[in-house]
Amino acid sequence: MTPTHFAFSSTFLLGLAGLAFHRTHLLSALLCLEGMMLSLFIALSMWTLQLNSASFSASPMLLLAFSACEAGAGLALLVATARTHGTDRLQSLNLLQC
Amino acid sequence: MVYIMFIFLLGLVLGLAAVASNPSPYFAALGLVAVAGMGCGVLVGHGGSFLSLILFLIYLGGMLVVFAYSAALAAEPYPEGWGSWPVLGVMMAYVLGVCVAAGLFWGGWYEGAWVSADEFAEFSVFRGDIGGVALMYSAGGGVLVMGAWVLLLTLLVVLELTRGLSRGALRAV
Repeated sequence: MTPTHFAFSSTFLLGLAGLAFHRTHLLSALLCLEGMMLSLFIALSMWTLQLNSASFSASPMLLLAFSACEAGAGLALLVATARTHGTDRLQSLNLLQC
Repeated sequence: MVYIMFIFLLGLVLGLAAVASNPSPYFAALGLVAVAGMGCGVLVGHGGSFLSLILFLIYLGGMLVVFAYSAALAAEPYPEGWGSWPVLGVMMAYVLGVCVAAGLFWGGWYEGAWVSADEFAEFSVFRGDIGGVALMYSAGGGVLVMGAWVLLLTLLVVLELTRGLSRGALRAV
């Protein structure tokens, strides 16, 4: 596997692991999600740069636009959590109990 | 040049391992800034200077600034950095996992030279990625309008989620 390909693939998987195993704060999960989006941006940019397909370079821009939307929605949920529960710690999200 | 690219790629992986090990969000945002900087270096080395500039301005200067001051919502008296043992242990486990995966996937690449995206014979301001992005305004106008619509919709979603006093989408807020 090419080093660049390995780098952004392992970056994506590390972000996914951080999102899956987040411990304390909701904001850590959102930051790992942003890291995954960053690795996808780098991956799409690598596609357009390595394969010399210049017309594909609009796709990282659109990915960035949609990931901005997702980050905004996630932060709004974080603010709503902080308003109702007083903090964004995951221990306080315990209304639904198995 | 090859060594600089290796350093940037290494910084990318180690930086995101530092973010994924879940320190306090202050430090995680700092790690993400470093990762974005390394990613910009990778893109510049491959010839995509416009995409790297977009990443710096929009991602770092727009989105991560918002995350950085939202980290005030995650304030705690003793923030855990990478000096504390749980965070450092998880980070070392992630780096070990990456090294194992590198050992499995490493062999078989022959193109180690990083050349630029487009080999023009003459000097030109018109690089490959800039021209490609300009297509978003001409042939891809429909997707551009859709993207703008989605961004406007997100603004309304955010306003509805945080409206407060049971008047918005969440009645508890």
